Amino acid sequence: MDHRNSEEAELVKRVQARDEMAFREIVERYQSKVFSIIYGILRNRNDAEDIAQQVFAKIYFSIKNFDFRSSLLTWIYKITVNECYDYLRKKRVRKLVYESDFSEEDAQRMEASEPATDPHPPIDTRLAQRDLILKLLSKLSEEDRSLMLLKEVEGHSVEELAQMTGLNENTIKVKLFRTRQKLLKAASRLTHVRPLAR
Amino acid sequence: MHREIYERLEDVLSGTPPDLAAKHLKQCQECRDEVISMRTQATLVRQLKPPVGVEPRAGFYARVLERIEAEGPVSIWNLFAESAFGKRIAVASLALALLLGVYLVSIERSAEPMVAGPPSMQTCLAPACDAAGAPVASTISAAISGEDAPGVVLSRLDGEPPNAAPNDDMFVNLVTYREQ
Repeated sequence: MDHRNSEEAELVKRVQARDEMAFREIVERYQSKVFSIIYGILRNRNDAEDIAQQVFAKIYFSIKNFDFRSSLLTWIYKITVNECYDYLRKKRVRKLVYESDFSEEDAQRMEASEPATDPHPPIDTRLAQRDLILKLLSKLSEEDRSLMLLKEVEGHSVEELAQMTGLNENTIKVKLFRTRQKLLKAASRLTHVRPLAR
Repeated sequence: MHREIYERLEDVLSGTPPDLAAKHLKQCQECRDEVISMRTQATLVRQLKPPVGVEPRAGFYARVLERIEAEGPVSIWNLFAESAFGKRIAVASLALALLLGVYLVSIERSAEPMVAGPPSMQTCLAPACDAAGAPVASTISAAISGEDAPGVVLSRLDGEPPNAAPNDDMFVNLVTYREQ
């Protein structure tokens, strides 16, 4: 699919020509998406806000290199996920335990203390699992990581991913298969210490 | 993992395996185990799904513009400052520069006895001639004109008479700085 002739491409070309109104349109169009991707990974509102600003600053400075091979959303998604991982690496976040993750619903569930009938795992298990999956994803390349998140978190089909990335469906399938295998291998190395899921 | 599953993996993981894959899964323990692990893993990845309706605070665009103005265009130095690989390169370069510095200083110190001597006069450090007065293979002399001035080490070519006047064509001048 050619991403050069869409309405979005016209917008990108205007930003590349340093049209500030076009850049504002991009920010307003994607700010919620970018913010929610970051919040989904970090679960901290202040960090999400800070990194979202950083993402759009990066988009502003590097949009001249956007080559229309993928959709704008795919490109922004990749930048966003990379910024999250840069942040995690810089801060060397070992345990992603934030107050914001502990919702009222979680508190009520803990008070009710019915783990046997509870369909949701307890909060500490969920945090440990989140920590683990972030570590596992950090073992992947930027491209594989984005592809995996677009598939599993955003729920895109193989056909949609092919359109978004400009790759063919078989390539997407092979990439997903290899990524899943890499994750399993990384998990098996880590789970000598702890189980993948309880 | 066998071909029957590998080629239809995304359908299998999404819970709608084609008949051929479903039949194979019933028979093959190895594929079944791997599919179960991949399903568990996909469930874990889905935990990164954000809650619905999270939005940045009002005035987000203004803050983005402030950030852009504060940052300016990315320079090549940001590569060294921000990326782990860049930092490693910077540290390695500094270490290399330090090693070279140490090496040069040690070389200069080992050459120091050759240039040491009373300041402001030419000192002959090697015998200019043998006992019979014939020229030796090489003569090294140093001229030091003052405390802070560079000394000049002159290496004389073979066969030159010991009292011959210095000739620019026949001498190699090595400029060095005197150790403080």
